[in-house]
Amino acid sequence: MFKEIFKFELQYRKKRAATYIYFGIIFLMCFLAVTTDVVRIGGAVGQVKQNSPMVITQMSLIVSVFMCLISSAVMGVAVLRDFEHNTEAILFSTPMKKFDYLLGRFLGSFVILVFIGCGIWIAFFLGDFMWWRDKEKLLPANLWNYLHPFFVFVVPNLFFSGAVLFMSGTLSRKSIVIYTQGILLLVLYIASQNMLRTLDQKTIAAMIDPFGLRAFNLETQYWTPSEKNTMLVPLQGYVLYNRLLFVGLGIVALVVTYFGFSFNVVRNSLIRRKAAPDDARYIKPDNVRIPVVTQVIDLKTNVQQLIKLSWFYCVSVAKEIPFIGIIISGLLLLFLNALNMNELYGTSSYPTTYSVVSLISGSFNLFFLIVAVFYTGELVWKERSVRINLIIDTMPIPDFISLIAKFIGLIIIYVGLIFLLIVCGVFIQISYGYYNFEFPIYFGSLYSETFAFLILYSLLSIFIQVMVNSKFIGYAVSVLFFIVVGVLGEVGLEHALFQFGSGTLDTFSDMNSYGHFVAPFSWFQVYWLGFTALLFGMAVVFSSRGSESDMAMRWKSGKLRLNRQLITYLLAFGVVFISSGFYIFYNTNVLNEYRSKKQSQKVQADYEKTLKKFKFLPQPKIVESNLKIDIYPENRDFVAEGYFYLKNKSNGSIKDIHIQYNSNKQNIIDYLKFDRKATIREHFDEFEYYIYELEEPLKAGDSVKMSFKQSFITKGFVEKGSNKSIIFNGTFFNNQYFPSIGYNEGFELGDDDDRKKNDLKEKERMMERDDPRGLAMSLFGDDADHIRFQMTIGTAIDQIAIAPGYLQKEWKENGRSYYEYKMDAPMCNFYSIVSAKYAVKRDKWNDVNLEIYYHPGHEYNLDKMMDGMKDALSYYSRNFDPYQYRQVRIMEFPRYSTFAQSFANTIPFSEGIGFIAKIDDPEKDIDYVYYVTAHEVAHQWWGHQVMEAGVKGNAMLSESMSQYSALMVMKHKFPPEIIERYLKYELDRYLAGRSTEQKKEQPLQFVESQGYIHYRKASLVFFALQDYIGEDSVNAAFRRHLANWKFKDAPYPTSADLLKEIKRVTPDSLQYIIHDMFETITLFENKTTEAVFEEKGKDEFEVTLKISSEKMRADSTGMETLIPVNDWIDIGVYGKDEKGKDKLIYLKKHRITEKEHTYTIVVKEKPRKAGIDPLHKLIDRHSDDNTKSLVKKSDPT
Amino acid sequence: MQLIIENLNKTYSNGVQALKNVSLTINQGMFGLLGPNGAGKSSLMRTIATLQEADSGSIQLGGIDVLTQKEEVRKTLGYLPQEFGVYPRVNAITLLDHLAVLKGVADKKQRKEVVEALLHKTNLWAAREKNLGGYSGGMKQRFGIAQALLANPKLIIVDEPTAGLDPAERNRFLNLLSELGENTIVILSTHIVDDVKELCTDMAIINKGEVLYKGSPLDAIDEVQGKVWSKRIAKAELDEYRKNFNIISERLIAGMPEIHIFHEGQPGGFTSVPADLEDVYFTNIFKSNRPIAEVTA
Repeated sequence: MFKEIFKFELQYRKKRAATYIYFGIIFLMCFLAVTTDVVRIGGAVGQVKQNSPMVITQMSLIVSVFMCLISSAVMGVAVLRDFEHNTEAILFSTPMKKFDYLLGRFLGSFVILVFIGCGIWIAFFLGDFMWWRDKEKLLPANLWNYLHPFFVFVVPNLFFSGAVLFMSGTLSRKSIVIYTQGILLLVLYIASQNMLRTLDQKTIAAMIDPFGLRAFNLETQYWTPSEKNTMLVPLQGYVLYNRLLFVGLGIVALVVTYFGFSFNVVRNSLIRRKAAPDDARYIKPDNVRIPVVTQVIDLKTNVQQLIKLSWFYCVSVAKEIPFIGIIISGLLLLFLNALNMNELYGTSSYPTTYSVVSLISGSFNLFFLIVAVFYTGELVWKERSVRINLIIDTMPIPDFISLIAKFIGLIIIYVGLIFLLIVCGVFIQISYGYYNFEFPIYFGSLYSETFAFLILYSLLSIFIQVMVNSKFIGYAVSVLFFIVVGVLGEVGLEHALFQFGSGTLDTFSDMNSYGHFVAPFSWFQVYWLGFTALLFGMAVVFSSRGSESDMAMRWKSGKLRLNRQLITYLLAFGVVFISSGFYIFYNTNVLNEYRSKKQSQKVQADYEKTLKKFKFLPQPKIVESNLKIDIYPENRDFVAEGYFYLKNKSNGSIKDIHIQYNSNKQNIIDYLKFDRKATIREHFDEFEYYIYELEEPLKAGDSVKMSFKQSFITKGFVEKGSNKSIIFNGTFFNNQYFPSIGYNEGFELGDDDDRKKNDLKEKERMMERDDPRGLAMSLFGDDADHIRFQMTIGTAIDQIAIAPGYLQKEWKENGRSYYEYKMDAPMCNFYSIVSAKYAVKRDKWNDVNLEIYYHPGHEYNLDKMMDGMKDALSYYSRNFDPYQYRQVRIMEFPRYSTFAQSFANTIPFSEGIGFIAKIDDPEKDIDYVYYVTAHEVAHQWWGHQVMEAGVKGNAMLSESMSQYSALMVMKHKFPPEIIERYLKYELDRYLAGRSTEQKKEQPLQFVESQGYIHYRKASLVFFALQDYIGEDSVNAAFRRHLANWKFKDAPYPTSADLLKEIKRVTPDSLQYIIHDMFETITLFENKTTEAVFEEKGKDEFEVTLKISSEKMRADSTGMETLIPVNDWIDIGVYGKDEKGKDKLIYLKKHRITEKEHTYTIVVKEKPRKAGIDPLHKLIDRHSDDNTKSLVKKSDPT
Repeated sequence: MQLIIENLNKTYSNGVQALKNVSLTINQGMFGLLGPNGAGKSSLMRTIATLQEADSGSIQLGGIDVLTQKEEVRKTLGYLPQEFGVYPRVNAITLLDHLAVLKGVADKKQRKEVVEALLHKTNLWAAREKNLGGYSGGMKQRFGIAQALLANPKLIIVDEPTAGLDPAERNRFLNLLSELGENTIVILSTHIVDDVKELCTDMAIINKGEVLYKGSPLDAIDEVQGKVWSKRIAKAELDEYRKNFNIISERLIAGMPEIHIFHEGQPGGFTSVPADLEDVYFTNIFKSNRPIAEVTA
């Protein structure tokens, strides 16, 4: 019997067009994804090949997640079909066994589902043979690479989702349940994805992700590009457990289905619908007279009808179980996300209102989108789905009322939901003990940005549903619409005017509030509202009323609806749409310059092609900067006027001076002149590049004064990338805005793919370490060595303006404030201009003035910053050399960027990375405010006292040395557990960083702007170094390096110079670690395989450890080769302290020379756990297997 | 007030011609529209009820052009579709009140009165607080008529209202219809001859989109009176008789076929039977079916 049912199911499905349509959708989507840019599903970056096993697996996985929607359609209806077609009575009265029926239907449908799923690997495989693919980015196709992920991930995923949806469809006998189930799966998925963000929960997330994507990511998170190109994820560890768990759950679902299903035709659902009593027989209605009523059909009635209908629709949505399910899921996700807000190094921030708002939109917007798309569909089809439409359609109400009421009904839902979210937001704040509820921000953000997005998508979705006139195709079209809009960008229509729903409020900042984003946001919303309102008008015309729904008939009856009001409406919104569109275009393309991505890339490429020849042309260097800058924050303008002194430091004389104006089109050079006669010999207006010819050449050693005036004028708004530096409150920009000398390599295209598209050769990221031209320039560029600096800044009367140097004078004039700064010693040519409404906190360390300029209200961490400055100054001046200035100032700037940056005696520090950090538990939370402060102060030495050469490895001198310095300050301040925790994050970020390397991983000594190396790896390496050779030795090396290079002009030092000093202080036996840590990429695979102990006597325990240790060298792609171990590595044993916490009772370096080794250690306290490299000083990709809990040795007898 | 339908034509997009040159004049009172399933009754009713477009022809109701002034028609219309559903989680009184608002009964008190009266009238008063999802077929049908009677319609269209009702329910339903005021046009479509016989003063027979007969049921019976003959025959003889006579109906009585034929003079072995409306109906249907039958034969 089973065979017949199974075969019948296959035969039935074979004939259904749906089977092939689903297959076609999957195939096409996957095929387009690998062969074009139109569809994007994951994909390859950098050195990872486009058809590497890693990429294929990831893409297969993502598609299999989306397949759960198809799965619901295919599997859910396998049994439900019999109920929907009312064939159940016939079927169930046959002598067929329940087991055969269910299994036959399930397996039959599942085979079809797997067939549809085959579209994935077939498309990927065929796609790789298409002639237009870039052969350089492909590996030779290997069929197993496509089949392996299919069998390991796709088929189990289909089995799980199929079984669950089969169960729900079969048991509930309701199609609505199937859709809800799909959404629930989605929620589970998003929740597990979000939980992965913090380190500790990664393993849980890997287990509970039903699709195994997280398990896959966890297993492959540290894979290097070369591993990604060669390895398939092995079916072991979390991947295996996850697969087993969910296949198991699938089987459980089938078992539940078997026991839960009954052949009874009569529904035995949990909520039985109560039959109403019919007592018609006992009443004689003949004598009832129907009263005459007055029918009033006027505007007032229409309004009454609209209100009544709107409320009716609103309530009908709110009562829907799936709706409540979606909302609860969304709130659940919100609260889950609220558990770890704005984390940095595992430390949370204060739940300020704007962060709660972004938490809310981040968590809930997807659910809003689901509600908007799903429930517009439901409401448009409301009458038709219960078949009351013919009655309603004959009611004497105007055609538009029903659609408008549906729209308003949704709007009421949205208003309510947003209010609910605000309540939840306040609740989250309260539960964090934070009581500064800023309701204007709640309402201002959610009832503008979120609300606008809901209105637009609802109107759009109503239009789609009406025009398509089929609920499910309507949903499909809505989804397709998102894809198409994405494609528009790919075919060149990337202007925001073509991107549906474009325009955002951008980032909210306590300092700058909503800033200048409100105007463009509002205009774009008006524009899109005009557009969607037009669509809505069309929907009114074409909406189906009556029994006919083909387009011709709807147009026929639609024409009758085109009365004067409707035409007026359409015209009015047409005017709104077009005129706002023009206004936006005027702002973005006329007042400002608009360039598509392609255009701007071309300009960059042309710049390089035309001007690169000038790169190494000898040019004079800036030796003095004296500017007067007038900032007008309210207009977002500034005017700079003053002079640079340029000195010819070359041996020959210079006739041509090449000046690069800032290429920002808002910048206008009013004049630029020299103190001797000069003419513009050649100009490249497109690049703002000018060659001035001096009548009398500048002789070697001579100087020339270059005076200029420039105006930075903000007009209207731009399409994207608006200037976030010169703003209402919190202006922060640097000297890059001013004219510079000669060719600027920074303007070149960096990405090799982009370069290729523009016919440029691949490019090294930096010059070789010994390149003399690189040695001649500092990291701040070749415009200058050290400069004399003076600056006067004028700004709004209520703002304080700050530049490097010491305040000479401060005055008010014409309703504006002026500040004059002057630096009394030469400094590097890198200076910031900052202006905002500040409060100031002052303190002193010895003779050094400490000042923090902060936004009032952001007092939380000022003390930590002060401590950071003091401790840092004291450690550095004790161990390196004295601080060169008499002042350190920290200035807060808005959170549009999240970094801190050291300028001479000034440190602009982002609002987003410290001012609102919430460090509650000094035992647990990493105080990154203190650490960032210490790091930036260290730059006053490493970067400002010693400038390094602009060659490979440069960041090892400034960034890595600052990283080490800050780490030492931390080491003396915080308990070792905190440092250990911090290093664990650094290890994670290093390993994750190298796995997404775009070009090539460098050893630390050749680092080329790779943050994961010069910050993350450097922390690990330098911490280990001071552990091996001693903190004093490292400091001695640093001190010597400093003495050699302090305040020197070119040539500048490189990493080789520092390494030389480090080698000098390293004993011969440990010289190898320099090679391992700095000169190569070296990794370890340390592991404790067995750990037992034996109690030998009172206070004497013998610990026996079996340890395995491997050492690897990696090349620039991450390809590893084993090398012999001959290393000093920590062996440690932990006991417990009084509080029951882990305490190291033994830690000693042992020379390890073989892979496998057994150690016996005697300790005096009861040991708990032991292992190799317990503090993670060495770089190890599996750091959690270094130690093992000890077990008591069992008696040999 | 009169409803005048002239030369109404309708062909659906799938090629089926639902209405062919339909012309009818319908006066106040009960009008029966009789025809088999698929005859075009519902198409005609829906066209009058502003629910679908006609290809050509016109419909006038009083001074209203039904095909274009839909809004005006809807004000005076009460319509009970052949098949309809209800919001399952709403009770009768709420939905009826909701519909009354849509009908333009703006005054709250009046609305309450009319809703209550109609619920009494249709015997739904006791079940008024129950969700409509729990209603039986007959109760739902009565709810349907209750909503059609909201706001004193001048034109009431009920499409196959008695299909699926048990005999007692059918009776009560027909009683209710017959009570409707004399100032109203009530169009009742049905394929059950007795419905028309018992209620209607005027009628039309329609098949394959064409009006085969219009007039009063009594006149119709007169037309065929004396031309209907009956005979009980053996099953084996059936084909023979089909060839030779215009058989208008066959039925089994105690297992033996009894045939009615339409014939001008008395054929041998047949006895005369008093004609009733059913014979009229089958005669007309038979005539309109025959040409097609010949073509296919």
